[in-house]
Amino acid sequence: MLARAGLTLTPEQVKAILPGAAIFRDMIARVNAPLPREAEPALTFDVEQG
Amino acid sequence: MSAILTIAEAARRIAARQLSPVELAKTHLDRIRRLDPQLNAFLLVTEERALADARAAEARQMSGGLRGRLDGIPIAHKDIYSTAGIRTTAHSKLLEHNVPTRDAHTVKKWADAGTVMLGKLATHEFAFGGPSFDLPWPPARNPWNRDRFTAGSSSGTGAAVAAGLILGGTGSDTGGSIRGPAALCGIAGIKPTYGLSSRAGILPLAFSLDHAGPMAWTAEDCGLLLQGMAGPDPEDPASVDRPVPDFTAELGKGVKGLRIGVVRHFFERDHRASDATRAGIDAALDFYAKEGAEVRDITLSPAADYHAVGYLLMVTEAFALHGPWMRERFMDYGELFRDRVSLAATVSGPDMIQATRRRRLLCREMAAAMENLDVIVSASQPGEAPRIDSVPKWANMEKPSFTMPFNVTGFPAISICTGFGEGGLPVAMQLAGKPFTEPTLLRAAHAYETAMPWRARRPAMAG
Repeated sequence: MLARAGLTLTPEQVKAILPGAAIFRDMIARVNAPLPREAEPALTFDVEQG
Repeated sequence: MSAILTIAEAARRIAARQLSPVELAKTHLDRIRRLDPQLNAFLLVTEERALADARAAEARQMSGGLRGRLDGIPIAHKDIYSTAGIRTTAHSKLLEHNVPTRDAHTVKKWADAGTVMLGKLATHEFAFGGPSFDLPWPPARNPWNRDRFTAGSSSGTGAAVAAGLILGGTGSDTGGSIRGPAALCGIAGIKPTYGLSSRAGILPLAFSLDHAGPMAWTAEDCGLLLQGMAGPDPEDPASVDRPVPDFTAELGKGVKGLRIGVVRHFFERDHRASDATRAGIDAALDFYAKEGAEVRDITLSPAADYHAVGYLLMVTEAFALHGPWMRERFMDYGELFRDRVSLAATVSGPDMIQATRRRRLLCREMAAAMENLDVIVSASQPGEAPRIDSVPKWANMEKPSFTMPFNVTGFPAISICTGFGEGGLPVAMQLAGKPFTEPTLLRAAHAYETAMPWRARRPAMAG
């Protein structure tokens, strides 16, 4: 994933990130918990502002 | 002149011609010379500029042409605020020699109000990622105990205000960067409503969460400084075009009738705060109740829900901005910034969409909870300042933040000192309000501050 994002890191640099990545994975899971059906999609377009 | 004045008091004396802006500036420049080598609050002291500003203010004072209550007041700017012709580094090697050609909108507004600029203040790198010891400048130290953390990212502002090097300064707040240092340094700091003050010319971290606001010794001073910052700016797409209220208009009106909700589960269950922090909040709530406010507990989503949404958006927006540099100059960033922001590479498009949808639900939840309330109270920080050399690398992710919920929703929030805990270190509470109700928020904060003895106590080193 890091490489896909254009970050070409050494194994040591990747290792330095791993503990944070584990915590961050839990955050991502929390964000992805089921939302109520009525939750609106993200606002990405405003017809009046173009 | 030995006592450190508040802005309100200095303004009164300047208006009455009892205080010379030039003498005031010299006093603070002398304090910086004596004390800052122990604090590292300043990245740059602009003495010539300060004295020129002060002389101009004094000329207006003598001619009866003062521009208002900020005229002649010594301030400094967090070093992500662009200052024309004056180095602005974001405390980073990447901008070590960056000299902007324009002032940030808010820097210009404060200059137009007559403030006296003493210099540029330490921050965490690009307002994210400290305390770092691998940057071109050392991190700021906490004046209450120099072995302790200031919190961040407006670390220099927190330290400089607490030590009386300046009377007020600018901060920015993406997840708590005004309120955190305010709490650990024992001062006041307000994150205004999203859109109330312009971010144009301030180096961004995350556009949808960034707020610009002031930090000072008291809530009243924060109100005076915010008066000089707030207002529409077409150069900030988030800027709100609405009349700027008088932020100090409600001060002194007390809290009788105010409806206060307490998000107790944030600091008792979701992330249990220190004994002194909780005791300080309980004592403040007793005060408010005795003064005639209605106080009741309320329940919101767990703090971790707000934190997850805010943190994901923050690092992903930061990576969108810093990605080009990070791909080319990864090792020129400090370890904390580069490793924390790299996590954004693991976020998918659907993750971002879900975070944005969830953010909207959380905004609605908070708005609904506040429908019949004027103020909500929680902690600002989990406890007293930790040692600066033992802050874990992932500390800002491991436990949910109390401040991030109000970046996610954009509601205004202020941190004020509620006393002192372990080791004589300050503790604090956070008051939040509905959008654009800063005058009420400041009124509640001011009522508490003026009834308590905490504002009479400064760090020992501040003399």
